[in-house]
Amino acid sequence: MLSLLRSPETTFRHLLVGDWLTIIFSAAITACLFLTLWSHEPASKIQIRVGDKIQASYDLNQQRDITVHGAIGDAVIHISQGKVRFSKSPCHNQYCVHQGWLTHSGQVAICLPNQISLELIGAQKPYDSLNY
Amino acid sequence: MRKWPVSLLVIAMLALAVAGVRALRQEPLYHTQSYVFGTLVDISIYGEPEDRARLLANQVLQDFQNLHRQLHAWKPAGKGQASELGALNTAFASGTRPVTISPQLAAILAEATDLSVRSQGLFNPAIGHLISTWGFQRDEFSAVRVDDASIEALLKTRPRMTDIVLKDNTAFSTNPNVKLDLGGYAKGYALDMAADYLRRQQVKNALINIGGNIIAIGRHGDKPWRVGIQHPRKPAAIATLELADGWAIGTSGDYQRYFMLDGKRYCHIIDPRNGYPVQHTQAVTVLIPPRKNAGVLSDVASKPIFIVAAEDKASTAAMLGIQYFMVIDQQSNIAVSQALAKKLDWLDPEVNNNRHVKLVTLP
Repeated sequence: MLSLLRSPETTFRHLLVGDWLTIIFSAAITACLFLTLWSHEPASKIQIRVGDKIQASYDLNQQRDITVHGAIGDAVIHISQGKVRFSKSPCHNQYCVHQGWLTHSGQVAICLPNQISLELIGAQKPYDSLNY
Repeated sequence: MRKWPVSLLVIAMLALAVAGVRALRQEPLYHTQSYVFGTLVDISIYGEPEDRARLLANQVLQDFQNLHRQLHAWKPAGKGQASELGALNTAFASGTRPVTISPQLAAILAEATDLSVRSQGLFNPAIGHLISTWGFQRDEFSAVRVDDASIEALLKTRPRMTDIVLKDNTAFSTNPNVKLDLGGYAKGYALDMAADYLRRQQVKNALINIGGNIIAIGRHGDKPWRVGIQHPRKPAAIATLELADGWAIGTSGDYQRYFMLDGKRYCHIIDPRNGYPVQHTQAVTVLIPPRKNAGVLSDVASKPIFIVAAEDKASTAAMLGIQYFMVIDQQSNIAVSQALAKKLDWLDPEVNNNRHVKLVTLP
């Protein structure tokens, strides 16, 4: 065994087809398992829905304004290092803007007239749906 | 070459393990959102193939849309065509000739009347004129200055559900001032309708949320469905609880439809006894155990409790047979019935720190 290690050329020459297949498959499986199991927990994200469609998801750890075209006009959604809010909306009552900052996973802000909803997505969902 | 089968066996097992882990990670949960009833509808279906779940959810949304058109209190169903409820309101206002209505609407009116009587008129869908006077029969409302005399005049007309006479799928009203607005009923009715439909289609697990009113079927995989209760003044949940099979939850709040005038909040829930929006309460949540019309009760039962004064809330809940309820008053003080308190997991840090939650015992 030691002599085999010392001369890698001999080692490779002694490998049979089956050994090669084993090595290739093992490598593939390892890569697969790594991707499946080791994918680190999803960073906190903001999911934006317009009507019945998921418009986009954004990382929360940034400073950014996003303009979203809703049913009645353009709303501005402001992301600021881990939190998010409606900062401008074309709706009349401005409930969505008054809701303020969302910070925790599971929190939602909805603009009914403009049919835009924001939901904070974390590693774990604290509840399946919200009663309001 | 003897090694071959062993190596392959190992590879096959690893491949199976990976497939298994992948299958576990992608849980069979279908989730969709849409806007119906002027609010957000959110449907989750668990354990069905995605294609089937999508078809079922689309059918439920379609049914909601049809019901919405049929029961809309102020929007026509089509060009120049009133909703079935709108046509009935016109007929009520113009005389006492019975008009034919659908068996479905007849059943709805019978149930709404029964609940109105049981709540001693605190739940009163006949006060459409008051609701429109306050400007809440609009998609978007603005501050309305109401003169006290017009409210007084409307109150004197005493519109009540018992003014409606139902017979063989016809209806008329003995009081021309009855104007139906099923805003506090239709979403609950739709919940029951959707739950019945999904159960008939052999769906074992689903969660249906119409504008905050939620009904549960089955479970979310190996655990029960869990719902959050919105804080009336913060963009966060105040508590969570498990919603077991057949249970429904509903909240009446002053934070979803309201306007501000001179620093005062005027919400869409109007006290039928004095004709004014209720101002002493932020939110009332009721939890309904499994029963035939759990969805309807989750929508309707919170209103009478919301409307009455603090000292009458527990007795009003008892009158309606509601054991599980929570009240948040205008100072954000929380009162919870003992039955509901046992089921809540508080999320709000203020509640956890101060524990300023009052336990309410039913009379």
